[in-house]
Amino acid sequence: MSAWRQAGLNYINYSNIAAKMLRRALKPELRADALKRDESHVRITPWLNGRPAHLKAAGAK
Amino acid sequence: MAFRGVLRNVARRLQVRTYAADAPKGDEMALTFAAGNKVFYDKQVVKQVDVPSLSGAFGILPKHVPTLAVLRPGVVTVIENDGKTNKIFVSSGTVTVNDDSSVQVLAEEAHPLENLDRGAAQESLSKAQSELNSAANDKAKAEAAIAVEVAEEILKAASG
Repeated sequence: MSAWRQAGLNYINYSNIAAKMLRRALKPELRADALKRDESHVRITPWLNGRPAHLKAAGAK
Repeated sequence: MAFRGVLRNVARRLQVRTYAADAPKGDEMALTFAAGNKVFYDKQVVKQVDVPSLSGAFGILPKHVPTLAVLRPGVVTVIENDGKTNKIFVSSGTVTVNDDSSVQVLAEEAHPLENLDRGAAQESLSKAQSELNSAANDKAKAEAAIAVEVAEEILKAASG
């Protein structure tokens, strides 16, 4: 078993790190655009009694 | 007795397996190769695809046995029908070989080798190495070790 699996990581974690490293190794003119893919944003709206309870923006890696 | 010998002979012949390279001509392999950043091939017929996977690197020719594998960081080599070789670095992802010889390579991030920057790769390798040395716990250590492994692979691809 690979060391990272033993440490509790899964392939999604592995893939995220690998993609991040690749984006950092691109030529400068391509890097800026690529780094935007590092983060994604999710907006979560909980609903209560058929109405949005409150709005909250959550940042996820 | 003679009859049994014949039977055994026939059975042995039926079990003979052939290599993918012996597959009948005219068989085609449609490649779909996409990443989060770009679509490289969309059902394009190609000659051969070499992929690096966690269980080892392997080449795919038409009539390859159906396979599923996860990718490891490395160079995917596509040999197109006109003989042109295309080398693309993939971070990670999956490769699927189907019964109808179609192949899907789906990567999280993929770039042609000429888009890699040797200096930037060297820099991120040094950073990952120092993070590995200062990692406080097992998880941080494992994450840094992955980063080092990926950076080394990128550097190798960018230099070669």
